[in-house]
Parts: sequence; structure tokens; C-alpha cells
Amino acid sequence: MSLDLLIYAVGAVASLMSVVAVYLALVERDLVKAVIYSAIQSVFYSLLFYLFMSPDIVLVYLPVAGGVLPALLLVLISKTERFERE
Amino acid sequence: MKRVVSLAVLVTIVLGMSLLLALSGQSFYPSENLRWLAIVYLNTTYNPYLPDFTVRSPESVTAIVWDYRGLDTLYETTVFYLAIIAGLALGRGVKRLNQKPTDESGLSPIVKTVTKITGPMILAVAASIGLHGHLTPGGGFQGGATAAVVPVVFIVVFSSFYLLWKGVSSQRMLTLRSAGLIGIGLTSISLFLAGLLLGLPSYVFQNIAKAGSPLSMPYDVHGALLSGTLWWFNLFEFLAVSSGFTLAFIILMTPEAEEKW
Repeated sequence: MSLDLLIYAVGAVASLMSVVAVYLALVERDLVKAVIYSAIQSVFYSLLFYLFMSPDIVLVYLPVAGGVLPALLLVLISKTERFERE
Repeated sequence: MKRVVSLAVLVTIVLGMSLLLALSGQSFYPSENLRWLAIVYLNTTYNPYLPDFTVRSPESVTAIVWDYRGLDTLYETTVFYLAIIAGLALGRGVKRLNQKPTDESGLSPIVKTVTKITGPMILAVAASIGLHGHLTPGGGFQGGATAAVVPVVFIVVFSSFYLLWKGVSSQRMLTLRSAGLIGIGLTSISLFLAGLLLGLPSYVFQNIAKAGSPLSMPYDVHGALLSGTLWWFNLFEFLAVSSGFTLAFIILMTPEAEEKW
């Protein structure tokens, strides 16, 4: 029972922190920092996927959302502008 | 100050939702009670006593992805193929620079040394995820996406031209990717062709012998499980996905020789 409670607690904290990361990514004007916040949110989501007992999704979500997608977005940012305008 | 207040409001809302989640946690987290469909899959995924129904793979997710619903996955691979083709079409006709990378280009020697050590380790983990996909969680796409992180890191840490000078060119990646896709196609029709040659009934995308068709892919080699077509599909999908992502990043990250506009 205590292990179940621990899993629920870790899941609740991970979902909480992922929402905070999403909020920070939305309000951030520096797009490079926004991409990093988005990657942090992905890491919390992969932790949640692991707790939901889907290790296959973790293995595809972690490299794609934590490695490939931020790299792609950073390349796009380097070709345009770094700061969001009003 | 305004941001702190809005963050506090947000955290309060989320804490309330988390409390709700904790109260109704049973419905969100997987429980011990399985639906009958899951029971059918778990009972047949590795079951030598049901030779007409089993996939002979202890990993039920890969069995579902490449056997029970293998045709869906084939078309997912086709969608990925078309996406990369569209990326290539965007970069057509653009001349790209090709300079020799020097020791000064890229990041500091500490980062370079660490990358030289961790790069092969990431590749080893990716190969393990991809080629053990029929035994443990993972599979061709997962392994390929993990392996695609290595060229991205190398381009960032060394320079855009490092991979090109080491022989990882976009032409070679395109060839490797086509080889992977041809391999997936050949694997899917291999038993059908064998059935035609031997004069026995067989199906496209057949893996293990079914009722009415005695043909079956070799599912183990001296006791080491291959799970019929699953290992081959994972191998070729690994090649196609890793080279496809690498190709996209080489196209995106290599500077253009001159501005056209």
C-alpha cells in the first residue's frame, strides 16, 4: 500500500511540475529557454509514462521529445529570431 | 511580481487537481484487473501450447505492433518516409558548404572528449533497444530515434562538417534508409514468396504458422529467440528511422553555400 502511495505521490509531483514547465515555456520570451522548458516538461511526461507502466512509450518519447525535437526547434530558432516580439 | 502571483494561482489549481487525481487514482493507474482483450493477447504472445495463435515473442507490445496489427505499422513507416521525402524536397537545389573541420571549430576539448566517450555508448544502448525489441520493451522506432540523437550531438559539439568528413553523407544515409525500407517490404512478403515457391498456402505479413498455412519464419536460433519476422522488422526499422532522422538533420544543419534571395 505504501508503495502505491509513493507511486501516486511521484506521479502527482511529476504532473504538477510538468504543468509548471508548460506555463514557463508559454510565458517565456526567449525562445531558446522556452524550448528547454518544453524539454523539461517532456522528461516529466516520460516519468509519468513509466509510472503508467508503458516503458515502450518512454523509450520513444524520451529521445524524440527530449533530444530530436528540441534540436530541431533550436535549428529553426537559429535561422529566425531568438526573442519573441510584442 | 505579476508572474509570481499567476504562478501561485496556477500551482493552486494544479494542486487541487492532483488531490482529485489522488482520490480517484484507481481509475487513472493500471489496475490488476485486465480486460478480456488484454488477456487474449497476453495468453497468446508467447505460448508454445497454442502453435496456431502464438507470436513466440514474450514482449506483447512489439508482437502487437509488428504482428497482430503489422499492416498499420507498415503504413506508419510509409508516413515517416513521406515526411522525410518532403524535407528533402524543401532542401533541393541548394548548394551546401563543405569545409574541412579544424580543431578550433565546435565546443571545448572537454566537451569533445566526453562526446567521444558517450557517443558510442548511446549507439550501443540504441542497438540494444532496437535489436532486443522482441524480448524487452523497445523496438525499431525507439532504437532508431535513440541512435539519431548521436549525429545531432556530434554536429553540435564538433561542427556541421564533421559527419560529412567522417563519411556520413546525405547520399549514404539515403541509401541506408532505402535499404531498410526494402528490407521491411521483403520481410513482409517473404513467407508469401516461400509459399508460392513451395506450393503451400501462405499470407502476406505472415509470421508464425496459422491454421490452413503450415509455413512459419524461423523463430529461434539454437535456443535464442528471434520471434520470426519481428527481429527482422525491428532491424530494418532501426536502420530506416535512424538514417532518416540523420538525413533530416544533415539537411537542416549544414550551412548553405550562398543565399538565393
